[in-house]
Amino acid sequence: MSSDFYTVSILPYAGIIIKICRAYTNSQEDFEDYYQEVCLQIWRSREKFKEQSEWSTWIYRLSLNVCLTLLKSKKRKHTYFSTESLPNELIDDCKAFSDESLNELYSAIKQLSEIDRAVILLYLEEKSYVEMAEIIGTNSNNIGVRIKRIKQRLKKILDGKIN
Amino acid sequence: MEKSIESIWEEGFLKNDALVAPKLNNLYKQKSIDIVEKFKRMYKVNIIALMAFALLMLVIAIPSGMPYMAIPMFFLFCGIITIALKFKKKLENLDKSQNSYEYLKSFDNWTKEMIQTNTKLSRFMYPYVCLVMIAGFWFGSSGGDIPGNIMLNEYLLNNPETLTVIGFPVFWLVGLLFTLGVISYFGAAIGNFDLNIVYGRILKKLDGLLLDMEDLRS
Repeated sequence: MSSDFYTVSILPYAGIIIKICRAYTNSQEDFEDYYQEVCLQIWRSREKFKEQSEWSTWIYRLSLNVCLTLLKSKKRKHTYFSTESLPNELIDDCKAFSDESLNELYSAIKQLSEIDRAVILLYLEEKSYVEMAEIIGTNSNNIGVRIKRIKQRLKKILDGKIN
Repeated sequence: MEKSIESIWEEGFLKNDALVAPKLNNLYKQKSIDIVEKFKRMYKVNIIALMAFALLMLVIAIPSGMPYMAIPMFFLFCGIITIALKFKKKLENLDKSQNSYEYLKSFDNWTKEMIQTNTKLSRFMYPYVCLVMIAGFWFGSSGGDIPGNIMLNEYLLNNPETLTVIGFPVFWLVGLLFTLGVISYFGAAIGNFDLNIVYGRILKKLDGLLLDMEDLRS
């Protein structure tokens, strides 16, 4: 990967990749691995980008796909990742950001299922339902209901009502 | 006042340190280690399977009266295992302190050497297996009459005009030599096919990884 490609085509969108990778990893080491893998996949697949969508939308989709694939292969290797969300004791170890509220929010997000994590990340990034559906590869009709349900669950987790 | 998740998100990411991208260095470190370790595990399992199979040959074939097939096959497996163990030692000795590319490159060289040896070996191994099987059927079970001799005598009695060399009909010998030649000719391809079934996927992955790394380095 040329440094030009990284600087011009990836680095301005690094925020997207960071936010997504953080939601699917639980240690700095894993986060860096996932981040690097996403960057590599962007570079490898760059010629497949057909400009039918925004570059950023494409990066969202690719980042999510890479993270979900890596998570799946990790689950296969470690049986303790058998539930859809990460175990609480591992989630509690994660203090990735200096902002404590953001750490708590990420901990809560990690307790959601993998797809719900993707939905809420895109919602927080202020993506439209149509864009969200395009990125996730689903129908936009029930996204609103799903977001409402996810937000309620997040609120409960953050309020400490459920683990 | 309690903050909404939207405001936590927005405010959290306003801080400078929240979106610091990690440095892209040593991109393939973990992948290189993973692929070599996976290959090592597969190679080890393969050697253990060969050992088990060699012993099984002796345990099953000798009591069932097929020593002419079992013993040469056992020695063949012992030979293959010895070579495999030498390669295993070389694999263990690959220098891990090199960078990812060099480490993978030396692993790639190791696989090439292993495949080359396997190709050479296959040219002799498959004809040998064929001969051993013929010997097994020729001599049959130990102790009784030799089925091959009975068949040969019967043939020579019915065809007294047949040209023989060292007591065997010439066309039998020619047929045998031709068969062994054909097997030897295709031995390399059979050996590589065999290797491909076991390690094909991982070797393909290795090629892809090296291509990527070379592309990255250019």
